[in-house]
Amino acid sequence: MKKTIANQRPSKCRQIRAHLHKAIRSHFGPDADWVQNHIGNCPRCQRRFASIGKVNLALSLVKSQPHKLDLLMRANTQAIGVLKRSLREAPKANTLKNMQPEPSLLERCSVYKRSVANVAACITILFLMKIGVFSFMDKFQTEGQKVITQYYVNQVGEDLANDIFTA
Amino acid sequence: MRGSAVSYGLIWDLAVCETVDKSQQWILSAMQKHGPELVTMLWRILGNEQDVCDAYQSTFLQLAHYQSRCKPEHTKAYIFRTASNVAVSMLRRKIAEKERLSTVVAKKPLRPLANELDSKYLQERLRGCIARLPEHLRSVITLRDLAELSYAQIGRMLGITAATARVYRCKAIQLLSVWMNKEKREKL
Repeated sequence: MKKTIANQRPSKCRQIRAHLHKAIRSHFGPDADWVQNHIGNCPRCQRRFASIGKVNLALSLVKSQPHKLDLLMRANTQAIGVLKRSLREAPKANTLKNMQPEPSLLERCSVYKRSVANVAACITILFLMKIGVFSFMDKFQTEGQKVITQYYVNQVGEDLANDIFTA
Repeated sequence: MRGSAVSYGLIWDLAVCETVDKSQQWILSAMQKHGPELVTMLWRILGNEQDVCDAYQSTFLQLAHYQSRCKPEHTKAYIFRTASNVAVSMLRRKIAEKERLSTVVAKKPLRPLANELDSKYLQERLRGCIARLPEHLRSVITLRDLAELSYAQIGRMLGITAATARVYRCKAIQLLSVWMNKEKREKL
């Protein structure tokens, strides 16, 4: 029993930490309303935010700059060239000399992200139809309508209520 | 008799060589495993392909000669930190060279305000400012923003907590923003 509690603890701690981080970010982060309101009226903070924005822009420009596809190959060839002869002649060295950067599994799967989302949406709709959620919603709607009609009958009389709901 | 002794000696030398080779194969494995990420980081720091190749070569040369050719305990951390230090040293040398040349030749014309958002100019300025950062802040910003490692990984590499890494990054961004703005005002 103790063992299971001990096993559960780290995940719970992680969850709490994540919640705390989210809460702090939403209340005290740069996107919080009171911060945005202040920035809107304070020229000094506007300047500060603009300069931080410029740094972030420069960082994203540096990150988005592409290099030639053969750069890894060239770098590997040059680095292997100064290693010991035995390493230079190893079969792995030849593989490295012809190595090209490959996108990660996540990046490769991101191409199918939209179609996966569409399929998931279709499955969800089918599942909801299967368990009768839609018929239940219809029933819920008619029941609601009946309650509202009854309310109007009580408040303004049957004739007027009929006029409103039959129109 | 002497001939057989020589041949035994040769066989012994070959055997020793073989074991050393096998023990150093991890260098190639490290190159295969971390090479692509390392090249990306170096490219982002240096922005020049030949410099990237030179820094990459220097990193693996240092790795091959690390403490009597032994494998470091944390190979990834060693590689990334060495590469980052080598690249920043190269960057500093380049900036110093440029400054020396600009004072010798002639004063450059002032850049107009419209060029403030010029992509190349911004990147150059950012690289220059990163090279000026104190080491602890520079390590975090290069590993987090240019190598795209997580704060937990950075913490493990630098021997600090993830929270400290976050604080260092925040301080680094603040310093960078002040310096980049200062340069702009000076130029105006």
